[in-house]
Amino acid sequence: MKPPVLRCRHVTKRYGKFTALEDLSLEVYEGEIFALLGPNGAGKSTLIHCITGLAKQTKGSIEVLGFDTRRDFRTTRRLVGLVPQEINYDPFFTPLESLMIQMGLMGVEPSRERAEGLLKTFALDEKRDAYTRTLSGGMKRRLLVAKSLVHDPRLLFLDEPTAGVDVELRQELWQEVEQLRAAGTTIVLTTHYIEEAEQLADRVGILHKGELLLVESRESLLERHGGRALEDIYLELIRKADGRHVA
Amino acid sequence: MSTIVLKTLFIKEIRRFSKVWLQTVLSPLVTTSLYFLVFGVALGSRLREISGVPYIQFVVPGLVMMTMIRDSFLNTSSSLFQSKINGTITDILVAPIGAFEMLLAYVGAAMIRAIIVGTLVYLVALTFTWFPLHHIGWTVFFTIFVTATLAMLGIVAALWAERFDHLAIFPNFVLLPLAFLGGVFYSIDLLPEPWNTISRFNPGGRAGFVLGASRSHQRVAAQWLQLAKLVIMGGQA
Ligand SMILES: Nc1ncnc2c1ncn2[C@@H]1O[C@H](COP(=O)(O)OP(=O)(O)OP(=O)(O)O)[C@@H](O)[C@H]1O
Ligand SMILES: [Mg+2]
Repeated sequence: MKPPVLRCRHVTKRYGKFTALEDLSLEVYEGEIFALLGPNGAGKSTLIHCITGLAKQTKGSIEVLGFDTRRDFRTTRRLVGLVPQEINYDPFFTPLESLMIQMGLMGVEPSRERAEGLLKTFALDEKRDAYTRTLSGGMKRRLLVAKSLVHDPRLLFLDEPTAGVDVELRQELWQEVEQLRAAGTTIVLTTHYIEEAEQLADRVGILHKGELLLVESRESLLERHGGRALEDIYLELIRKADGRHVA
Repeated sequence: MSTIVLKTLFIKEIRRFSKVWLQTVLSPLVTTSLYFLVFGVALGSRLREISGVPYIQFVVPGLVMMTMIRDSFLNTSSSLFQSKINGTITDILVAPIGAFEMLLAYVGAAMIRAIIVGTLVYLVALTFTWFPLHHIGWTVFFTIFVTATLAMLGIVAALWAERFDHLAIFPNFVLLPLAFLGGVFYSIDLLPEPWNTISRFNPGGRAGFVLGASRSHQRVAAQWLQLAKLVIMGGQA
């Protein structure tokens, strides 16, 4: 078997006294779509931040394709792409400029052709010279996705990429994700639309209060629960875990 | 180390302030021209000489230095703080760039802005009064030293600040008083005690003094050594 694209070993993340992630170990394999599910505040974004460089784990190690994200950060950051949960945009630059800048920041030679190609893919070519501020919410989010792809990452994190995106574009976005996977990109996504995860994901991880309750392939999970919807299974697990925590 | 990443961040920072040049370049120019008009031309015609120099010439180096101090601080602090608040700092944090290169890019761009504006202020000053630079070496040294230091201070301020008004603390409560008490507009020899003694420890004033030093080399050297000592010892403490 191939070595995992992502390997987290005993990752703990604390903010002061608060523990956001507790001794979390997880492997993600090449070419799969992995859905990280969990209620608000479960620690999904925190885990993604530790992997992508926005935060540092308190304990444990994280490897991307065998490279340590702390020691070999220059290598791992070129391998990893991130669509952050919070929409951000630089009011000083247009979508085209933002993409060109992001290429340079990710260490690839800026190419106008590639930037224009990405704008077309994400239906932003009409807005390429607009002030980014004037883009609609969904357009801004699509720009974020485009920005995350400028360096052809091997491992892509999508932290709630469909929040606030209309149905049609959501479908298109997931098609794009499928295409990326077909081209060999490994994808880790979070979403609160459980049915999206059910459609897309090869494997599912459920995170609750910083701990992984379950990591299983979608098929075996659904089979084990006699064909019930993933959403039902998810809710049951979370409620059980909440009960455990209350007790 | 990838030079593309460093270059991109540096150029991005330069483009950021050039896009808003009305605020970043023109506005300090207008402000200092007003200072020249009011203090240099209007008041200066009555004040005649300070330390043996015509008053209007006396204010030139201090104003240039004050502008450079302010602009290098403002450039890093506002850029970094804005990206912290609007979230675009994410783009940089996920990039394959180390802390040192980040520092280099931010500080370098801030120095460029400060030096451009400082030069323009100097050119404006030249339209009011003839003011040759006597110590090119010291001028270059101090320009680099002061702008780099203040740019780094701006980074610290941006990382520490949680709200916009936190950023204004330095320019309003530190820099402006230092400029006024530090001998930009008058010789600190004219100040009564204890302000005279206090002002002698004001590095901003000293830096300005050195820029303007056209007379005694030795005094310049001594002043500079003292300042260097202050900075180095302060850095170790
Ligand atoms: N910088 C921080 N300082 C302190 N606490 C933090 C910080 N970042 C996250 N947390 C806390 O860590 C916990 C996990 O947050 P995280 O953003 O990872 O949740 P999430 O699973 O992504 O939730 P959501 O679905 O709402 O996005 C939360 O309780 C949050 O308040
Ligand atoms: Mg989150």
